[in-house]
Formats: sequence, structure tokens, C-alpha cells
Amino acid sequence: MSNLEDNLKAALERTGPPPGFSGRVLARLNGQAPPKVAWWDLLSVLLRPPRIQWVALSVILSVMIPFAGVRYQRARRLRSEGEKAKQQLVFAVHMAGNKLHRVQQKVLEIGRMDTRL
Amino acid sequence: MVFSMSYHFLRDRSLAEELAQEVFLELYRNLAAIESPAHLVFWLRKVTSRRCIDQTRRRAFWPKFRLDEVPEPVAKIRTADPMLSRALARLVASLPEKARMVVILRYQEDLDPMEIAQVLDMPIGTVKSHLQRSLAMLRDKLARTVGEIAI
Amino acid sequence: MKILCRLTFCIQIGAAMYGQALDLTHLERLAAKAKETADVNLDGAVLKLGAKFLSADDPDQVKIKKLVAGLKGIYVKTFTFENEGEYSDSDVGGIRKQLQSPGWSRIVGVHSKKDGDNAEVYLKTDGPGGGLAIICANPKELTIVNIVGKIDLDELSELGGSLGVPKIDLEKPKPAPKKDD
Repeated sequence: MSNLEDNLKAALERTGPPPGFSGRVLARLNGQAPPKVAWWDLLSVLLRPPRIQWVALSVILSVMIPFAGVRYQRARRLRSEGEKAKQQLVFAVHMAGNKLHRVQQKVLEIGRMDTRL
Repeated sequence: MVFSMSYHFLRDRSLAEELAQEVFLELYRNLAAIESPAHLVFWLRKVTSRRCIDQTRRRAFWPKFRLDEVPEPVAKIRTADPMLSRALARLVASLPEKARMVVILRYQEDLDPMEIAQVLDMPIGTVKSHLQRSLAMLRDKLARTVGEIAI
Repeated sequence: MKILCRLTFCIQIGAAMYGQALDLTHLERLAAKAKETADVNLDGAVLKLGAKFLSADDPDQVKIKKLVAGLKGIYVKTFTFENEGEYSDSDVGGIRKQLQSPGWSRIVGVHSKKDGDNAEVYLKTDGPGGGLAIICANPKELTIVNIVGKIDLDELSELGGSLGVPKIDLEKPKPAPKKDD
């Protein structure tokens, strides 16, 4: 994923609703007339939770899911940053070892020349 | 999720809350159609997307912040930071409605193109095309707006 | 030979002290002139994060993890230029000046008239901290490596040959032969 895409994920990170949002939604729902229900739908009430609880559950999920989503996105970002840091670390160690080796090669070269002399 | 999608689309907290409340009212009226928690999440995304796009078309909505209001930064920005995030969020809000929603579903909701196509009832080719063009547009606008950024 | 022995002696001591990172910010202007630049700044939490992501299944990465366990920071700046003369002696001089402060010892200095390569290795062997600094100043390339913290050159040399890091053969000093009276 490119830097722009990473930046977009950060910029579009889920944001929670203002405080009291759930209460305001439920207050509006309580003021609503109950929807007309066909007789066959009444049977489904036996199998599913009551409607108001469904909506309450979805409102709560809609508030909780952002936080779970935020944690998930943070974990993804941490993984991405960790991989980048690891690559830089491996490169840095490679560079240090490589340069030390070249210095040693030079030293050995000089040592061989001294011996010949 | 519902509020967040609305906010990133509309860039207006009060409008986003109003829209989110309307979505939950619609949910209440259509509860019989909900089959499972997964279906609930799908339904919420679908309806929120549709309402956001409809809202924009109805109101001829303009983003609150225009690109020429974004100040030119002095220094090179090397990594994502709050300033960059804000600039990017504003640029996303300036995209055409369908492309904007595609970008939000991709980068906020982390949906893949197939899932986005299902939510928006759009061919997958169109989704990919929106994504490609939007990224190119954002990259270009961002570079012009905030100077050199390693993207 | 003397140089090798001195290097080996330093390895045996195993610089186990901590120090401050060198100030390399004055080199950043060289990035504009360089055709290729690499800039690594790993310290504190970022260094630990990178080490955490090293694979436990890869024997070389296990060695790197062990090597960096005691480190406080790793800083690398490397610039590759199209032409010679794109950086000046004063660019490198600023770093050498810092390495003249107490505690730092230049353990190797190599200059090649043939190809113009210069290389210096410094160890911080005194004071409250320790570390390693390498300056490689070639006509078209400048590399500065600064490692802050416990650094075991033996372990660093063991990494030679893996991950493209060449082995470094460092001899342990032989005991001096007893003289007959």
C-alpha cells in the first residue's frame, strides 16, 4: 500500500458521534409510531429480539464498532510501521557491516603490502 | 460507522448527525428486512452511502473549505501528520459524490472493491476506476496544495 | 598488523557503554545534490519496534535482534553523487570535530591515494555512554554510520555473509611468546 493510501487511512479513521448521540436516536425512535407489522412478521418476533432492542443494538454497535475499528486500524498501522522500521534496521546493520568490512579489507591490503616490502 | 461515514462525506458534524439519525429511523421502519448482524452492517453502509449521495445532490453541497484556503506550508512534510490528515480529508470531500463514497468505503471501512460494488450497487470495474482516478486526483491536488510530500 | 591488533583489543573490551548520537543535521543539504540518498534514524521506541518485527524463524534476523538488543540508536546517512566534489571537507570535518571529544578513539583510519577512498572507524570507549562511528568518504559517495549503545563488534562481524553483509575476519590476539632469559 502506498504512502498516500496509508495517509488516507489515517485521515479517514473512524470518528465517533458527538456525546449523547445514542440517547437522541432512541428518543426519536420512542416518539415514532410503531411500524405496521404483517401477521407473518409477528411469528418472527418469537425468533428474533424485540425491534427496539435491534435498533438499540445497532446504535450501540454503531458507536462501539468505530472504536473496534479504530483499534483495528491502529493495529494495522503499527504493523505497517513495524515492518518499515525492521527494513530500515536491517539496512542500517547491513551498511555498518559492509563499511567495516571494506575498512578491514583496506587494512589487510596495507598489511600485505607491508609484508612484501 | 454511520456517523463517521456521513461526517467524512459531508464534512459537517451537525449534518452528519442528522443524517445518521435518519439512517437509524429508517432502520427502525425496516427491521423486518434485517436477517443477521452481518446483514445489519451491510444494510447500514448501503443506506448511509445512498443517503449521503442523495443529500449532496439535493443541496448542491459545497465543501466548507476550499483548496485555495489551505495555507501553503513552509517546510517539506515527510510523514503523515494531523495537518496532512486534515488536508486530505478536505480533498476527499471535494471529490465527486460517488467517487468520494468509494474512497470512504475503501479507506475508512477497509472494504475491497467487490464489497464496495455490492454496497453501492455498482459494477466492480466502475469502483476500480473511481478508486484509480480519485487517487490520482488526490495525489495531484495534494502535491499542489501542500508542496512536496513524499507520496 | 598493529592496527588489526588494536581493533581486536577493542573487540575484546567490547564497548559496553552508552553515548550521545552525533549531530548529522548539517549533512541534510547534501540530499539536494545527491542522485541517491538513504537516511535511517532509528532510536528509542522505533528501534525497539523494528527489532520486535525481526523474524524469529530467520537465523540472521535472530542475530541482528541480539546485536541491537543493547543499542540506543542507529543512524545512517549515505549520499551517492553523480560527480566528484559535490561535498566538501568541511562537511566531514564537522563530524570529525565531534569525534575528537573525550571518550572517542579513532581505531582505524585508511586513506587510498589510488581511488581517493577514505575510511575511519571510531569507538567510544570512555565516559557514560559508548558507540561506534564510521566515516566513509569516497569521491562520489559519503556514508556516515553512528551506532549508540552497547555494540559488540564480534557479533556485528558474525553477520558478515548473511543479508549481503560480508564477513569480517577478526583475529583474536595471540599471547606474546615467552622470552628466554
